[in-house]
Amino acid sequence: MLRESLMEVINSLRVNSKKSGLKESGEQGIGGMVYIIFDNMELVRDWDKDSVIISMLFKLYDILKMPEVGLIFISNNSPDTYHLNTGSVEPIPIHFPEYREDDLYQIFLRNQRDPKLYSSFLDVVLKDSCKITRCIDELSTYFRLLFEKYCEPLSGIGRVPNQDMKSKLYMHLKPHVTSSLNEVFWVPSCLALELKENKEKVGKKRNMRRLGDGVVPDDIDFHMSVSAKYLLISTFLASRNPATLDAALFDSAGGGDNTNRKRRRKASETSIQQKENAEQELLMKGPGTFPLERLLAIFQCITSVTASVLEEEQQEVDVLGTEGGANGLMSDVLLQLSTLCNANIIIKGGTCPLDGTSRYRSTVSEEMALKVARSVNFPLPKYLYRK
Amino acid sequence: MDGKQTPAIEALTHLRSKICNRNSIFSFSSDAPDSNYNKLKFIVSNSVTEACNNSVLLLGSRGCGQVEVLDLVLEDLKAEYPEIISVVRLDGVLHSDDNCAIKEIAKQLCSENQLLFSKMASSDDNTQFMMAVLREYGLAHKTVVFILDEFDLFAQGKQRLLYSLLDAMQSVSSQAVVIGMSCRLDADQLLEKRVRSRFSHRKLLFLPSSKEDILRLLKHILTLPEDSMFPRDYVITFNKKLHNMFEEAKFKEILDTLLDADSSVHHVLNFLFVAVCNMNLESGYLSVENFKTALLSIQRPYKLDSLQGCSVLELYILACMKRLEDKEQNSYNFNSVMTEYKHIHDSYRISDYYARNVSLRAFEHLLQRELISFGDSRGQNQSIEFRPVKLLISSHELLQGLKLYRSCPALLQKLMTGELNKMKAHLVDVEMID
Repeated sequence: MLRESLMEVINSLRVNSKKSGLKESGEQGIGGMVYIIFDNMELVRDWDKDSVIISMLFKLYDILKMPEVGLIFISNNSPDTYHLNTGSVEPIPIHFPEYREDDLYQIFLRNQRDPKLYSSFLDVVLKDSCKITRCIDELSTYFRLLFEKYCEPLSGIGRVPNQDMKSKLYMHLKPHVTSSLNEVFWVPSCLALELKENKEKVGKKRNMRRLGDGVVPDDIDFHMSVSAKYLLISTFLASRNPATLDAALFDSAGGGDNTNRKRRRKASETSIQQKENAEQELLMKGPGTFPLERLLAIFQCITSVTASVLEEEQQEVDVLGTEGGANGLMSDVLLQLSTLCNANIIIKGGTCPLDGTSRYRSTVSEEMALKVARSVNFPLPKYLYRK
Repeated sequence: MDGKQTPAIEALTHLRSKICNRNSIFSFSSDAPDSNYNKLKFIVSNSVTEACNNSVLLLGSRGCGQVEVLDLVLEDLKAEYPEIISVVRLDGVLHSDDNCAIKEIAKQLCSENQLLFSKMASSDDNTQFMMAVLREYGLAHKTVVFILDEFDLFAQGKQRLLYSLLDAMQSVSSQAVVIGMSCRLDADQLLEKRVRSRFSHRKLLFLPSSKEDILRLLKHILTLPEDSMFPRDYVITFNKKLHNMFEEAKFKEILDTLLDADSSVHHVLNFLFVAVCNMNLESGYLSVENFKTALLSIQRPYKLDSLQGCSVLELYILACMKRLEDKEQNSYNFNSVMTEYKHIHDSYRISDYYARNVSLRAFEHLLQRELISFGDSRGQNQSIEFRPVKLLISSHELLQGLKLYRSCPALLQKLMTGELNKMKAHLVDVEMID
């Protein structure tokens, strides 16, 4: 079908060009040209029947035989990455090299309200940030935030710094630069920016993160419903712990504690070695897979434990009492599950070889899981399996 | 457009249009009596004059002129026998599905005879229509030429189209020629038995030209005609400089490098086009430099260019991966690379040590540039940090790239060449560190 529609395009182009009177003339005609531009060609390689499509597109000039039509292909990869079995016509390559530091300097200076101030800023930061990335989009976000910080002491004074001022500004910025380099790709979410503005209004102490602080915040920046948080914790546990441990961990409310106590022995050499090996294995293999039933079982266990705790506390009506106990948490679990799948917190991990059901895997890091657990006061470390 | 174009610009336009007009280029090289042009012309005209069916395969690597020679033959024959020859063109890339192909045949036959084509017609209808047309053409002593480009793609699957076409030629009183074109030299081996029996085993081989032929072709294309609108002195100087350049050793070297990679005419024409576009408009003459620049832009060292565009952090990641490979770790992932990175930082105190999330982004950049890739093909569905990766550049290329890199940290280079290890080993020997 793709080919048929392409044939129609070709024929309509022929008809159109004849209508506008651009027939091939014998001499050097100066007619209008029609350019067909294909952007992001490298994505075509992932399509079905990619070799057919690519060879056809490259041959399009010969198929059309219309000198008025020009074809331009834009790609992030070099021509030698387009492997085709029987080869194909190769278009004339034109290479665009990456921007060098001087080019980046010129580009960033454009459209600035204050070229001198910005150029002194760039003198300080450009070289070091180029060591991490030379991609303009990423650098521009990063510079925007850093420039705000750079200009902080200047509010009130005139905007054109002299040499003295420059060195003062540099000293002000310096401690932030080194730590902020580790956050080059951090883009503040809308929520974080709002909270920053409301910081003075709300009296609560919030551990707000600003660029260059180097402090790991305790809060998570985005909003999740309580049941989604529990689901996330369950997926983390399901991926981390082996299935055989579930019965022991979840049989009674405080099961986790006893298990850990029993296993605590004196650290001997072999056990240290084993621990290192286990860590190594964790790094190499990654989180394990689990079937859906196991996840829901763990979820139910966790929420029943906390539901009993909640009921004790919920003698009075509290503000967030929308979820009325265990029943509220269990509702819409499958909806939450699909949301988590879409957010790539749970990914499909292949099918079980025995009965063909699909298995899932959690992609949450331990740090994140601990944060989420802390926000719902769930004692996650007690449930984690450690050799 | 200003009326006063310098002769240089006019010459440039003239040469460019000459290069783009491929048919005339091939007519130049088709003069010999036993050339493919003449053989093909004989076969097709035979079918016209003797009122018989024929089939032939044009085989040769890409860019050797099969399409152009065929077009020339058809043009000449259409002039010689007006109103007798109609052409149906199919392409294996576009029409390998049988139904689609039959539809396209019917559509083209309709448009040739000013009939209206109905999209609703089924495949059977189209086939019957084709047979009917063939019969009519046979009775009227007209010849249909079926051109099947990318013939090997038609030979995939059940080969229904080929069979019905060749069968129709045998059963119905028709005058048809089937011309298949393919870059696979064994295209006729792909045919099924019943198709092959109906196919005459005529094959015309299109070979890439020799170096002398290419040189002759270059002279023919680039020489400006003397009796044209260009000023006479300019033309004479231009041609003289051109011919002197052809004798230069440097030029011959450039041409050899180009032809060693691919000596098909299309490739040479692409190269010529770029070279001519590089012509210095102020001087108005072609020089060896133009050709050299053209060669460099066509034969770029892509991986080295990619390396020049990397940031220092990305280079460190590549260096870590190379070290892991040197240590003969068969499979490693991002986490192991990070461990190696930390290990290097602990041993040598590098100043460019960055956090994990930043390194992950640099890692993604490398994946995008195809300097590294995943070792498993979409299996496992793991997140990026756990999937096995491998280098897509050799250590030689990596070393070369580091040498060419502007402001490459000296530590990184030493790391790659193993000098640091030697230094450390020496210090251990001398018992300065343990």
